[in-house]
Amino acid sequence: MFKVGIPRALSYYQYLPAWKAFFGALGAETVVSPPTNKAIFTAGNSRAVAETCLPVKLFFGHVLSLANKCDYMFIPAMRSLGKKAYYCSKFIGLPDMTRALVPECPPILDPEIDLNKGRRALYRAIYDLGCHFSSDKSRIKKATEQAEKVHSAYRKEMSAREITPIQAFGERHRGEDKLYLEPDISPSLSVAVIGHQYVIYDDYINHRLISRLQAMGGRVFTPEMAEQEALDIAMMKLGGAPHWSFEADIVGAGEYYLEAELDGIISVAVFGCGPDSMMIDMVRRRAREFRTPFLHLSLDEHTSEGGLVTRLEAFLDMVKRRKRVCV
Amino acid sequence: MRIGIPHCGHGYLIAEALVQKLGNGKSELIIPPPTSHRTLDLGVKYSPVEACLPFKLTLGNLIEACELGADTLIHARGTGVCRLGYYVKGQEQIIRDLGYDAHFLTLDVSQHRFRSIMRLMKDLTNGAPPPQIISALYFAMGKLFALDKMEQVVHKVRAVELEKGMANQVYREAVKAIGQAKTVREVKNATREYNKKLDQVPKDPAADPVKVSIVGEVFVVLDPFANMDIEMELGKLGVEVERTMSLSRWVKYRLFLNYLGVNEWKEVHKAAMPYLKRNVGGDGWESVGEKVVHAREGYDGVVHLAPFTCMPEIVAQNIMPSTKEDIPVLTVLYDEQMARLGMITKLEAFVDLLKFRRKRKRSGNLSWR
Repeated sequence: MFKVGIPRALSYYQYLPAWKAFFGALGAETVVSPPTNKAIFTAGNSRAVAETCLPVKLFFGHVLSLANKCDYMFIPAMRSLGKKAYYCSKFIGLPDMTRALVPECPPILDPEIDLNKGRRALYRAIYDLGCHFSSDKSRIKKATEQAEKVHSAYRKEMSAREITPIQAFGERHRGEDKLYLEPDISPSLSVAVIGHQYVIYDDYINHRLISRLQAMGGRVFTPEMAEQEALDIAMMKLGGAPHWSFEADIVGAGEYYLEAELDGIISVAVFGCGPDSMMIDMVRRRAREFRTPFLHLSLDEHTSEGGLVTRLEAFLDMVKRRKRVCV
Repeated sequence: MRIGIPHCGHGYLIAEALVQKLGNGKSELIIPPPTSHRTLDLGVKYSPVEACLPFKLTLGNLIEACELGADTLIHARGTGVCRLGYYVKGQEQIIRDLGYDAHFLTLDVSQHRFRSIMRLMKDLTNGAPPPQIISALYFAMGKLFALDKMEQVVHKVRAVELEKGMANQVYREAVKAIGQAKTVREVKNATREYNKKLDQVPKDPAADPVKVSIVGEVFVVLDPFANMDIEMELGKLGVEVERTMSLSRWVKYRLFLNYLGVNEWKEVHKAAMPYLKRNVGGDGWESVGEKVVHAREGYDGVVHLAPFTCMPEIVAQNIMPSTKEDIPVLTVLYDEQMARLGMITKLEAFVDLLKFRRKRKRSGNLSWR
């Protein structure tokens, strides 16, 4: 049985269930890299050039940690997932960058996902991918359908139960260790955390942002807890047709939660993120119009836990005081 | 209608020539003052912090144009993955927030280019007949080609001239003369005259300059303010510079010949294939390909220019060092914090490395490590 490696980084948080279902239906086993740790972080950092953004550096670290544990590495080249909505260049160049920077990587499966070319091209790419595991056409088709079903169920589950992908996967990142933070049982504040999934759910680089907020008495909402349609509508209202699909969801979530009159918005971005640098400004403007407190956190490999906690505490104190005064 | 444009190298000459030929009194062209530190400061002040340098510089230009009373602004728009797709949206908002009442006309640079340039022409000329537009374009393009061709000669002369700075002086005069030319004939005469002058610049016959090619993101490669005159600085160090990308080439192929199925980058893309299989937006694919091609052609090194945090160029930067065709690459990243002296030090070190490497190669000791 073939083993397919899936690095726990970038689009992992969005598509893991679908990929698992697809490869599973074709009789391949999926191997996921461990949660980000210091070794992965250092290895990734040492491979890529310094200007690369942190999540992409981490990605190489995750690939390295899987290098001798699988027969294939699955790294799709994501170009577009909707009409005229694109992914960042680094997603498209990911397979080729991995080949250049991690020579010890096993053969890479790199289907090009480009919905701009139409669904036919997408199915063609998926079929070519499936051919590595099965020569049976109908089996690949069935696997594709199953993956689609699992993906929409996964997306719906998150918005219906208002849970994060990590909870939906049924795992804890740094579970029962001494770092575990007990969430406040009766949260008094509602805070939206908007940002890329691979930033807000990677506890290593954001220093357990979400559990920290929960422990400080916040009820946390993330973009995945809203329905996809609601995000799309909010995005259209704010800035017209989106240019980048990942960021459209983030900005859409910002608008959606502003309209829902949450107590505060925290946007989390990594330093050097191209799309974020242009898009987050829209949320900032809207937050000013709504007079909702807005905190922008820019993370990089040097972000210190202490500094982050201080900013969060200050922000939450401000939100609390405002709430007392307003009520 | 008062039209403002952003700067990119001597691109403003085209706009000037077009308006001169097609102007009907109704529209007036406002060319903002040459990009200066004030432009940069304005751009930096009003842009999102992490926006890229071309965004900040062109925003500065447009604000300066607005200060001079422009009410219509022209800007390029892409539909690819790079940030260029967001320039117009972002800048429009910022300029409106500053209280200027200006609307944007966009020039699509990635899709529907021909249609968009024709529409732009129609907007600008209030429907001049097509033959007139074409003759005006011919005139404007003539200027651009003359200048770009001359620049290539200047790159060669700079490296070997006896008295540093002569070629530059001639070139500066040539830009002025060609810019002021009123007819195709005048452009031709000026070109001939200044080419002769370049020929007469005293050169060192024994000079054997190292050859370097410049690749990278189109705006910083083409705009001397953005790249801090890197070509001139390399020339001062006695380096012969070669650059495939130029404004005239870009206009010629991107706006016209691509439609006839001519792909000017075909060879380059083919060369990039083993290392980068697909277009990553911007000029990343071309950068990788050009490195491979130039290595095969026997260049001594590649200088790769990009704005800081440029997404496509980071992909290229990650891939370039690992190609089988092995020549040194120096990546220079530009942002508003960059200092000219820092760049010069980097270039000096790089050129020393190239010279050393060449000496070793010639002495027969091919192994580099």
